[in-house]
Amino acid sequence: MQQAGVGTNDGPDARRSLLVCALIGASVMAAADEIVFHQILGWHHFYDRSTPAVGLLSDGLLHTAELLALVAGLFLYADLRRRGAFSRPDARAGALIGLGGFQVFDGIVDHKLLRVHQIRYGVDLAPYDLAWNAAGAVLLLAGCGLALRAHRRRRAGREQHG
Amino acid sequence: MTGAHTHPDAAAGTGVYALAAAAAVLLAAAAYAVAAARLRRRGDAWPRRRDASFAAGAAALAWAALGPLPGEPFTAHVCRHLLTGMAAPLLLVLGRPVTLLLRVLPPARARRALTAAGRSRAAALPVLPPVAALADIGGLWLLHRTPLLAAAGERPLLHAAVHAHMLLAGLLFTFAVCRLDPVRRSGGGLGIRGGTLLAAGAAHAVLAKGLYAVPPPGLAVTPGDLRAGAVLMYYGGDAVEIGLALVLAVQWYAATGRTRRRALRRRAAAVHGAA
Repeated sequence: MQQAGVGTNDGPDARRSLLVCALIGASVMAAADEIVFHQILGWHHFYDRSTPAVGLLSDGLLHTAELLALVAGLFLYADLRRRGAFSRPDARAGALIGLGGFQVFDGIVDHKLLRVHQIRYGVDLAPYDLAWNAAGAVLLLAGCGLALRAHRRRRAGREQHG
Repeated sequence: MTGAHTHPDAAAGTGVYALAAAAAVLLAAAAYAVAAARLRRRGDAWPRRRDASFAAGAAALAWAALGPLPGEPFTAHVCRHLLTGMAAPLLLVLGRPVTLLLRVLPPARARRALTAAGRSRAAALPVLPPVAALADIGGLWLLHRTPLLAAAGERPLLHAAVHAHMLLAGLLFTFAVCRLDPVRRSGGGLGIRGGTLLAAGAAHAVLAKGLYAVPPPGLAVTPGDLRAGAVLMYYGGDAVEIGLALVLAVQWYAATGRTRRRALRRRAAAVHGAA
């Protein structure tokens, strides 16, 4: 990573724009989860006593990784802009992939596999889980669609010029 | 903060050790201010934000020693931990005290000796980020997962020793992760420093969440106080980790910017030379 921003070969960097914005998207979704569901709605519990040790460990790692990813993502983004390597269509696709990817990961791995905590307590979980994961999947698929479209347009552009 | 003898604050507040610690902190802050003023008088550039950061770190330490700290006893203990072991070390390290010391010392022997010590193999080990993190977070786990915290509440000297370790280990960790002052460079790449920050942050978060459910052994603490303290520890840790991450990110951004400008200059010179 340290050398990655060094390149002087300016011009849009599609892959890097997508990855950096996916990183920012995932950490923004994680922050939104923390703020909306933990703090504002109070649906999620700070610590669900049934959380197994491995869930606690993965939660600690993921939570810290989210913080570091948000800071790293913003500086990587600033570096892309500084070098003129930012590609807007790929960045948009990456952001959606990051947002949806985190949502689905949280819904399946954290809530169901590791059982870190549930979406809400004292209610029938099925509709909540369905809405949570479906919303994430829609974002994820939209992101993949945009990434494909950006890729095709780029290729078409190259063929025209080439 | 009166009454119970088992809570972690019984020894703090007005104790002789707390006063001694506050006096030492005041002395360090005064020495820093004098040294910075001396540099500026002789024409050196020394940004004011470094003075402000070091002074804020000293103030945080004095506050942690003398109080009053918010919340019930356990929450107040967590507040003291966040100030002494995390926030104050970051603020003090951002003031680059070692660089200041090196600049203000007479050029000959003292400065050479200190530089050599900083670059020696013996100094390289403790400032290796994983080693420093182990001293810091390992100590924190010991404090909260053995009867040490309960014992420190009853013995003022032990209480003082625990907090001295908290400060020194916090300083070492912050120093090793930030690498703002001149030390031996080996083992201090961005990857290892960032990875250590991630591991230490995770260990801090796991400890805080665990404390929400299970109090430190032997410590008399009300459930409400325990939960408030654990939540404060979790989110307070986040705030300092974001600060540390920002230090690393700014270093990376500046370093890649410098490398890029150099490469562009070289390319321009090559084009110019060819023409």
